[in-house]
Amino acid sequence: MQNQVPVVEIHELSKHYGEFVALDNLSLTLNRGSILGFIGPNGAGKTTTIRILVGLSRPTSGYARIGGADCVREQTKVRRLVGYMPDKFGSYDNMRVREYLDFFGAAFGISRRERQKRVAEVLELTNATWMQDRYVESLSHGMQQRVGIARTLLHNPEVLILDEPANGLDPEARIEMRTILLRLAAEGRTLIVTSHILPELARICDRIAIVAGGKLRAVGTLQEVTRELSQRRTIEIQFLNSATIAAAAGRLRPMLEHDAEITVSETESIIRCRTAANDEKLTELLRHLISSGDLVSQFREVAGDLEEAFVSAAREAEAERTEKAAAKAPVAEVAR
Amino acid sequence: MNGCLIIVERELLALLRSGRTLVILLAVSIAFSVIVFLKWPSSGIVDLDGAKGREVFAWLTYAMLAAAILIVPVFPSTSLVTEVRRRTLELLLNSPLSRTSIYLGKALAMLGFVMLLLFATLPALTCCYLMGGLSFTEDVLKLYLFLTLVSLQLIVIGLLVGTYCRSTESALRWSYGVTFAMTIVPWFPDALFPGGTSPIAKGCQLLKLISPIPALMKMLNQGSVGGSGLMESRDPVLWYVGFATLFIVVGSVVCILRLSHSLLDRSRSQGFITDDQDQWVRASRRVLFLVDPQRRSAGIPPFVNPVMVKEFQCRQFGRMHWLLRLVAGCAVLSLLLTLASAQGTESRGVEYTGALIIVLQVALIVLLTPGLASGMIAGEMEGGSWNLLRVTPLTPGRILRGKLISVVLTLALLLCATLPGYAVIMLIKPTLQQQVVQVLICLILAAVLSMLVSATVSSFFRKTAVATTVSYGCLVAIFGGTMLIWMNREAPFGFGFVQQALRLNPMAAALNAMQASGFESYDLIPSSWWITGITSIVLLVILYFQTLRLTRPD
Repeated sequence: MQNQVPVVEIHELSKHYGEFVALDNLSLTLNRGSILGFIGPNGAGKTTTIRILVGLSRPTSGYARIGGADCVREQTKVRRLVGYMPDKFGSYDNMRVREYLDFFGAAFGISRRERQKRVAEVLELTNATWMQDRYVESLSHGMQQRVGIARTLLHNPEVLILDEPANGLDPEARIEMRTILLRLAAEGRTLIVTSHILPELARICDRIAIVAGGKLRAVGTLQEVTRELSQRRTIEIQFLNSATIAAAAGRLRPMLEHDAEITVSETESIIRCRTAANDEKLTELLRHLISSGDLVSQFREVAGDLEEAFVSAAREAEAERTEKAAAKAPVAEVAR
Repeated sequence: MNGCLIIVERELLALLRSGRTLVILLAVSIAFSVIVFLKWPSSGIVDLDGAKGREVFAWLTYAMLAAAILIVPVFPSTSLVTEVRRRTLELLLNSPLSRTSIYLGKALAMLGFVMLLLFATLPALTCCYLMGGLSFTEDVLKLYLFLTLVSLQLIVIGLLVGTYCRSTESALRWSYGVTFAMTIVPWFPDALFPGGTSPIAKGCQLLKLISPIPALMKMLNQGSVGGSGLMESRDPVLWYVGFATLFIVVGSVVCILRLSHSLLDRSRSQGFITDDQDQWVRASRRVLFLVDPQRRSAGIPPFVNPVMVKEFQCRQFGRMHWLLRLVAGCAVLSLLLTLASAQGTESRGVEYTGALIIVLQVALIVLLTPGLASGMIAGEMEGGSWNLLRVTPLTPGRILRGKLISVVLTLALLLCATLPGYAVIMLIKPTLQQQVVQVLICLILAAVLSMLVSATVSSFFRKTAVATTVSYGCLVAIFGGTMLIWMNREAPFGFGFVQQALRLNPMAAALNAMQASGFESYDLIPSSWWITGITSIVLLVILYFQTLRLTRPD
């Protein structure tokens, strides 16, 4: 479903709160029909970016466009193009699900007849028809999240921005949420999803953007991002049998850096190495094993995971922050 | 007992750490200093009979009671609701602390705060004592003990209300409602049936004794203003102390019994819908409800502001069947007022009854409006739905219009339902027609002003409870504060100053139009209308710009 038409364009977006830099020159483009997983540690700048995209916040510099409309200057157009689900549900007391959706439909100027049809459709799409007569505040968190998605879909937006849609959901509800999001992407909608549940994002997103300390650390497919951010790679060496595996591990140790992790699994006849060695070093290592007479049947790199990339980006941001603080400290000392 | 002290420590520390406690204590200290300053003898001659000292003491006493009624309910009413919402009550209930310890701990902590509040009045009372004419044990100590009892009663009311409410806003509203119902409202029935010997009149006289005001008047040797019949033969202090003690004991027991896991386990209706029921159920519900609240709605009609419909839908008593009940209740109240006005005409005159109706209506407006309007924006901010409104194509003007119309319609219904009383007045004395029209204009302006004050206050806060409290404070300052100045019309305030102050109060203008006793000499109309009108327009402009600011990108 994905095509090469850019729907979301973020160009050198910055947001400052006094001296605090919440966003620092963030640039990003997203094509129609893709699902972007927008991840980062708490306070990384995800929600700030989202708030700028939906017109709730004004950038200090740079711009963001959705469907060609500027998020600050053409808000009315942007509001019709975007369906936004914040991390806080925002319910009203004493309102039934149908009334809740009807109100937001009316707020978007949908005619009564069309609204009734749309409400039924979005309830069906989110598997929430059975709860249409229930009071919104009596729903469980998972049910409220579904109603939240139904609300964002009412005006048939092109782009959906979902802030932590899987937060607090049980595994079953999470699977349902995943199915709903994939269905929406299949319909050709563009989705921006933030989440802390990384395996969940890894399963549904075709693109991942990692922000930390207000900066975009990596963007691309899962493989691209993990390769870009992971400082170590995992190598699996499969032997024909486990007879020489302990000796082989001993031979590997001096060839790798001192803090490389080597795990031996005699039952599987596999040695796993977590190392920062580059391709040349690994080639040398394989040659050494073979020349030593070890019966290597497979030598492969295991794809890195998102969690590792996430931690790596967070550490990078933390190191930058510490460096900045250290640079400021002597000035403060002198001033004192 | 140890457990109780743990709660006292936690609650009291939390109270003392909050900024609003400091503001309240400072405000009370300053207000009481101002009273002493205004009443301090200006001439070089000092009276030796202590009359001046007693006069100032009387003023301080009423001010202390007013401060207790206005300030004390805020803290206990929100305490339990906040614990439930933050889910800290379940931690307390799952600890080895007994329910009694939790309750007593909270009540004693609130009492500790009240003590601080009373101590803030000590410098003013000391000045008053120095003027002479007061006995420490007979006057000062008795007063403090009496106010402690009143405050304890208010604390029990607040805590008890807190066990029934789900939100801080409704807890605050109900707390003030019950407090006013038990302190100020018991006065009115006796005023409507003055000096009667009928069972109704006797009942009204007895009802008056549950209020602390007659007891306080007795303590100040001011007799019982408007008192007659039973009031003359019974000691209001003893009656009040007896009633308050009984209320405190019973209220505490009920509150302790209610303080259980059931507070955390309130299930909501799962969504009963009449449309899915049998034919006979649907038919019977249509007859019983007139407008069935459980019927599946057809959706917001075209050309109707969706925000207005939403406001009615999500307001606890905003649905049509509740509005019908409200109008019916007000109509019954109006009939009672009509009956009273017909009975009291001979002895006190139509103007007196008219003045009572005006005071009752304004009291109703002041009591209800903050509940309707102060959560208008603050409530949305608190619940997180304001951002959802911001990302819809609704303009700030449309949002504001929808919200204001929902309050205007409710207030208009309330005012209309109390109109028959005026019809009877005009029937008895047709020459009052023009005055009644003027009174109605004043009442409309009072309602508009109350609504705009509450709504504007709401736009400056992110918590409904704070917005509601500040709204009540502002309205009481406008409608009650100016009346305090009027009460001081002999001294220290001169005629001109009192007239200027009364022009700020539409209720005073209505009383002036009705030629109520004490208001005949002032010339408040139309200047009061102009002032209220211009103030309302200014508030509306502020409210609009606030809404505009709040809907724009941060």
